[in-house]
Amino acid sequence: MSDKSENYREQEHIPTSKVQRATKFFKTGAKVGGNYVKHYAKKMVNPNLTKEDLHASNAEDIYSSLSELKGSALKVAQMMSMDKNILPRAYQDKFMMAQYSAPPLSYPLVVRTFQKSLGTTPEALFESFTKSAVNAASMGQVHQAEKEGKKYAVKIQYPGVAESVSSDLKMVRPFAYRLLNMNEKELDHYMEEVEERLLEETDYVLEVQRSEEISQACSHIPDLYFPNYYPEWSSDRIITMDWIDGKHIKEWMLTNPSQEERDRIGQALWDFYNHQIHNLKKVHADPHPGNFIIQKDGKLGIIDFGCVKVIPEDFYQGYFSLIKSDLLIKEEELDKIFFDLGFISYKDTEDEQKYFKGVFRAMISLLGRPFHSESFDFADESYFMEIFEMGDRIGNDKMFKKSRQARGSRHGLYINRTYFGIYNLLHQLGANIKTTKPEWLVK
Amino acid sequence: MENQEENKVELKDRRTEIVEAYVHYVLEHGREPVSVFKFVKSLGMKEEEFYEYFTSFASIKSAVWEKIIDDTVRGMESQEVYQEYSAREKMLSFYFTLVEELKKHRSYLLSMYEGHLSFKRNVPMELKGFKEKFKAFSADVILEGKENEEIADRSFISDRYEDALWLETLFILQYWLKDTSPGFEKTDVAIEKSVSLAFDLMGKSALDSFLDLAKFIYQSK
Repeated sequence: MSDKSENYREQEHIPTSKVQRATKFFKTGAKVGGNYVKHYAKKMVNPNLTKEDLHASNAEDIYSSLSELKGSALKVAQMMSMDKNILPRAYQDKFMMAQYSAPPLSYPLVVRTFQKSLGTTPEALFESFTKSAVNAASMGQVHQAEKEGKKYAVKIQYPGVAESVSSDLKMVRPFAYRLLNMNEKELDHYMEEVEERLLEETDYVLEVQRSEEISQACSHIPDLYFPNYYPEWSSDRIITMDWIDGKHIKEWMLTNPSQEERDRIGQALWDFYNHQIHNLKKVHADPHPGNFIIQKDGKLGIIDFGCVKVIPEDFYQGYFSLIKSDLLIKEEELDKIFFDLGFISYKDTEDEQKYFKGVFRAMISLLGRPFHSESFDFADESYFMEIFEMGDRIGNDKMFKKSRQARGSRHGLYINRTYFGIYNLLHQLGANIKTTKPEWLVK
Repeated sequence: MENQEENKVELKDRRTEIVEAYVHYVLEHGREPVSVFKFVKSLGMKEEEFYEYFTSFASIKSAVWEKIIDDTVRGMESQEVYQEYSAREKMLSFYFTLVEELKKHRSYLLSMYEGHLSFKRNVPMELKGFKEKFKAFSADVILEGKENEEIADRSFISDRYEDALWLETLFILQYWLKDTSPGFEKTDVAIEKSVSLAFDLMGKSALDSFLDLAKFIYQSK
């Protein structure tokens, strides 16, 4: 009898996942703290020890706890891995791994999800359907299906993900403070935006609708391919679309494509984003390498419109005025934009205002550099090193660290992330791009 | 012969009718009827006729549970893919189908068991028939699991596997009754994770190797 109740007790605490996950996070938090202590202790003995060592051991611990979580925590890890300029380099590789390691759903649960949301089974709907997932997505998994000689990708959402978004984010918070070197206020300012996007991302009905809408609106751009979506085989938990055969950018690069080919793919990517941001004012805000597939016929397939940022008009005007080259923008105009976008505020002292204006000016002129000429070579390693260095330098500056202000509009979060993503992909491609921009900016 | 058959059908209908009327009463009033006498009166039935089918309200409640598990097993086995499932997947499929069946009776079950604090400590009497049927099913699954080595055959302990799975069933029932998430998604997650744990525990693990070594050292002393 005793082993029975033993067994039961163990089962009893399994699904109270929130508590469990919280302890998991707590443990990691303690560990990370420990790493800092260890680091500074070591440093007293050996002053040559670099921060890189510390970051490496932190990344190890954080990764091992994040990899055991699904859903939004994974998503946050993903996001942090995307923002290369914010995260020190050692974190990146570890976090990149998180993108591919959530435990898969059992097949009976896949069947159940089908029955619950489509009222049928995968076998009844398709001629064949893979029993195990062929791909992991951050909030679900992908199966391959076949019907009448056609292949489909079927994405299935993990149950309970939508419900756990908010509580997961609350748990990520203490890490984010430490990792991103932000104070509480600053972080909350952005967390709201993240929560909103994540909640949208769990809404598969909206995703299908947006996928169709944006694919349609971008169909005129050459060298792009968008899969068809099948709303009749999709629901709030399932998305069915055409299967895309091809290679991801990394794999494709291994086939040694010519410079011409790489420029062509890169240009298609640039045009795709340029059209969305400046004409549609709605953007695929997840330029994660897994969402781009280069097909045999040389077209760039684009998937996953789960994360779409709608760009508010007033934000748009201010933000993109900043990419005007230094010569074109006037001092007063710049000041006004800085205040409007919340980079600086009246709460700042005069010294702070002056300092931050300087910092943001330098950042903008660096990040806006591709826009300042007709074309830009993203293969240029030194440009990216310059960005990293600047990020490091500013991040370590005392003046920057001690500021209690939240800086920058929350809308900028996803737009920045999108641009970093594009820059990164273009860099991977080593592409030379005609950096088109809207008319009003050139004048 | 023909006559007998007809009689049987009628017998069955009458039985179902009583069960349905009982469930209906509970749904309408939020509690059991006061007495068999009052209950049959509303049915326009004589009390002695009632006793031909059931001995008490408890046996009606038992019939409801048995219908749930019968429908579950039938629904599950009607899925073609079921035969290809491993033992672990069969168990998962059972629970997922079960909660789907339970859903059809949720209001009834809630009014009967919402206040019931712990199924584990105090198993309702009327679950006896349900339990027997579940054990028959789980015994098959365990046997199959042992055959394809998903489940480790351990002396003494493996005889209790069925009991452990029954406790898991009670846990899931209780969890589902309290679940308020849309579409009972949390119950799905609870099922997925608890079955996973159960089969990991029953499967061959480091513990077996440890016991094996311990036995060897003990014997070779």
